[in-house]
Amino acid sequence: MRTIRQAAIDKIRAWSARRHGLDSLPIKINRRRIYILPTRFGIMLGLVLAAMLIAGLNYNSNLGLAFGFLMASVALVTMHHCNRNLLGLQVDVTTEVDAFAGREARFEFVLKNASNVERRDVEIRCLTASGICSVAAASSESVSVAVPVPRRGITRIAQFELRTRHPFGWFNAWTYVQGSLIAHVAPAPRGERTLPSAAGAGSGSRSEVRGDEDFAGLRAYEPGVPLKHMAWKVLARGGEAAVRSYTSLAALPEWLEWSALTGLDTESRLSQLCLWVLESEAAQRIYGLRLPGREIAPAFGAAHRFACLRALAAYAIAEPR
Amino acid sequence: MTPKPVSYEQLWGIFACLILALLAHLGSLPVWVLVTVAVSGGLRLALARRGRAGPPRALRLSIVAVAIALLFVQFRTFNGLSAGTALLVLVAGLKMLETETQRDIYVITLSIYFVSVSALLESTSFWLFAYLIGVCWLTTAALLRLTGTLPLPDWRRCLRYSGRLLGQALPLALVLWLLFPRFAGPLWHIPEDGHSAASGLSDTMSPGDIDQLALSDEVAFRVHFAGAAPPPQERYWRGPVMHAFDGRTWSRAYSGQLGAPALQPQGPAYDYTVSLEPNQRRWIFALDWPSHWDLADAALTGDYTLMRRDPVSRPIDVAATSHTRVQWTTPLSPTMRERDTRIPPNSNPRTVQMAQSLRRAHPADAEYVSAVLAMFTQQPFYYTLTPPKLSDNSVDAFLFDSKRGFCEHYASAFAVLMRAAGIPARVVTGYQGGTFNRFADYWIVRQSDAHAWDEIWIEGRGWLRMDPTSAIAPERVEHGAGDALNAEDALGVGWRGRMHWFADARLRLDALRQLWRERILFFDQDSQQKLLEWLKIPEPDGHKLVLLLAAALTLVLCWLTWIVRREVDTSRKELLVRIYARLCAKLAAAGLPRLAHEGAEAYAARVALRRPDIGRAVTALCRHYSTLRYAAPTAHITVGQFDAAVRAFRPTARPKSSRRRTYR
Repeated sequence: MRTIRQAAIDKIRAWSARRHGLDSLPIKINRRRIYILPTRFGIMLGLVLAAMLIAGLNYNSNLGLAFGFLMASVALVTMHHCNRNLLGLQVDVTTEVDAFAGREARFEFVLKNASNVERRDVEIRCLTASGICSVAAASSESVSVAVPVPRRGITRIAQFELRTRHPFGWFNAWTYVQGSLIAHVAPAPRGERTLPSAAGAGSGSRSEVRGDEDFAGLRAYEPGVPLKHMAWKVLARGGEAAVRSYTSLAALPEWLEWSALTGLDTESRLSQLCLWVLESEAAQRIYGLRLPGREIAPAFGAAHRFACLRALAAYAIAEPR
Repeated sequence: MTPKPVSYEQLWGIFACLILALLAHLGSLPVWVLVTVAVSGGLRLALARRGRAGPPRALRLSIVAVAIALLFVQFRTFNGLSAGTALLVLVAGLKMLETETQRDIYVITLSIYFVSVSALLESTSFWLFAYLIGVCWLTTAALLRLTGTLPLPDWRRCLRYSGRLLGQALPLALVLWLLFPRFAGPLWHIPEDGHSAASGLSDTMSPGDIDQLALSDEVAFRVHFAGAAPPPQERYWRGPVMHAFDGRTWSRAYSGQLGAPALQPQGPAYDYTVSLEPNQRRWIFALDWPSHWDLADAALTGDYTLMRRDPVSRPIDVAATSHTRVQWTTPLSPTMRERDTRIPPNSNPRTVQMAQSLRRAHPADAEYVSAVLAMFTQQPFYYTLTPPKLSDNSVDAFLFDSKRGFCEHYASAFAVLMRAAGIPARVVTGYQGGTFNRFADYWIVRQSDAHAWDEIWIEGRGWLRMDPTSAIAPERVEHGAGDALNAEDALGVGWRGRMHWFADARLRLDALRQLWRERILFFDQDSQQKLLEWLKIPEPDGHKLVLLLAAALTLVLCWLTWIVRREVDTSRKELLVRIYARLCAKLAAAGLPRLAHEGAEAYAARVALRRPDIGRAVTALCRHYSTLRYAAPTAHITVGQFDAAVRAFRPTARPKSSRRRTYR
């Protein structure tokens, strides 16, 4: 039974994917892509309505019939309201997120409601995970959906769905969105080896690296820079987004090396490297990552960390097209 | 999907709705069922309040088993409306005990809906209908609070939302109700519920029976005459006829004889429709003497009462024709003559003795009858609702001692006097008179119009109606019991008679009730046929009705789709801009067009300067616009309210004085 149901759902999903093609986000949900079916409770209500109709006809009771017809009409109106609850909603989502294996990839969805009616209880489903929210009239709301990612690699979600049972749970309206969501799943940070200290660190040799100790001027904005380094005053004057650049005196960069971790299997090595990346970042060191066939130059900061983690996630895995 | 637990508040809301729906069954369900439901619901609520789950499963199941067994013992069946409803109610109530998840509450809401319908199946009351629509509204609002996953909207908003849903459902329901094909008869036989109480006249008549009825304002039936109505002294509505007398009580003798003797109609025929209220009796009150009627399962008895096969348990309409004057052509059979002259031996000896002496003085039937009537008028007899209690020889006591009585005393005494003199006589009970409703052209016959009169057999003329009451109180027959009793005011009719507005209001209300009955309760195949004819559809039949239903449904559904989608199709911004444009257009028409560069606040300031009389209103409206447009989430006015305010805003033409001043 379960498998038949699942098979039917998969068929509908595939059909809907063919029908609508790949969607570009943000997407506004039009009426052609909203599907609606009664829930189990809705079917029960239908049976009760049928019983009301038969009883009314049998007893030749115009009042009974009137009540039954009113309830049936309410059910039909409810169907329209359920459908409307999704209609015209605009959905946006951060398509690429980072996560660690065994934890969750958090996709931040933004639902925007330009209309003058509240959208209540809209559920967003990605694979098995879901998030739910209501969006007031002429406002927007963000929902985060935490998709569990058990394995390292690049998890791609080709489709997510929006569904609602508002107002009474008699109907279930839903829509599929074909947007490819990508989670870069870094290996779970784990391992016993100690963080290698900067190899061949000479006592007097210093290199000037970007750091956060002494102000050194402005440089162009790039994603991932800590907010506290933003040059807000420049931005407020109408200039380009800029970042205050600092220098810090640090030791020589340390290299987190794949080749240093002999005696471990691939995943354990990657986990150990991941842990080192996090530890180096926490210790505010300057580090570089060397994987077979891939090298990331020493630096530090959120952007650098992400680059390293993504490299670990993608190691020996086909690149997403 | 994991089952969602329910909160105390949700439980409370749904329980209140269940109890409200059950109140509609107050008269028809055994009280212990209602009490069981109330107790089990209350118990569950009390437990939920302390955050505890319902009683254990074994206990619940045994309670259910005991309750259902009790129910079966009481009804002996689960088939039939009362028993079925009682079962449903009981199960829904006991379901309260085990409500843990949302699904359980869904089941309860469904049973609330069905319980409401079952209360309506055998009801005709507008008020009950309106009440149950209200219950349905509340239940739907409670359901809204149940399915909401996030902070629940407050009750008022839920009620408003479900009220709007009901409003939007109304046109669709109306189309379905008007055009859904009705069947002529039931789909299968409906088991009758035997425990409804009969009302109105009964099979027997004892002194004091009818004056009990006379206190009741309840409507017995209503009559609409197709042409002119007969004069009051001919408006006798025939009910059961009494033949057997035991010295105190008259009763119908079941001769088993059906098929009325033929009559020669004389005078005009009256066509009319009797709209009977349910009374759980089998007879139909037709005007004396009925010749045609349109009820298949009704027939005339030997003594001309129109009888049905089954009791009148729901309102029915009977169209009939009667002649108030007839000529009898068949003779009275000896057995009938014997039956209608029998008086129990040794009862009412003084009456019998007096009748015999009077008979010796007046050997001719006609003279004897006149003498008896003359006795009633000459001796101090009173027509009263509060006669003294009479002994077993009730006629003796009445004629010789109290001399005070209501119509049944006079009819009874008169019949005994006739029988004692060998003239066949029988007592007819029924109604006499009625109130004309001048607001809607029909007559209302109430229980207080119940009456008893006599018929005597005169050779060569047949059964003649004699109404001794009219000899004592002619105004009873002319104007009704209320007027005849005015002096003593036992009915309390007197003060009502003096308050014309009250009487009028009552009549208007009754006219509405009759309209409700005609248009709503009696809406059937024929009415649908008439509807199609009214719509000028040629050769109306069931097939065309279904086509029309399909067409109308399509139209209404299109309309529904449109009004529901319209709200999301335009964004709030567009909506606001449109409403604001309307405000600007109104001001422009008043001579103050908005300049292209002006913002709302600046425009309002300028208008206030030029037109101080509307300045305050315009400033408020423009401020609402800015708030809604730019500070939406915190606005304390809704777009709908703003729209209504702009619609209501009327900048009157500029006052003349100020115009002159500006020109100067």
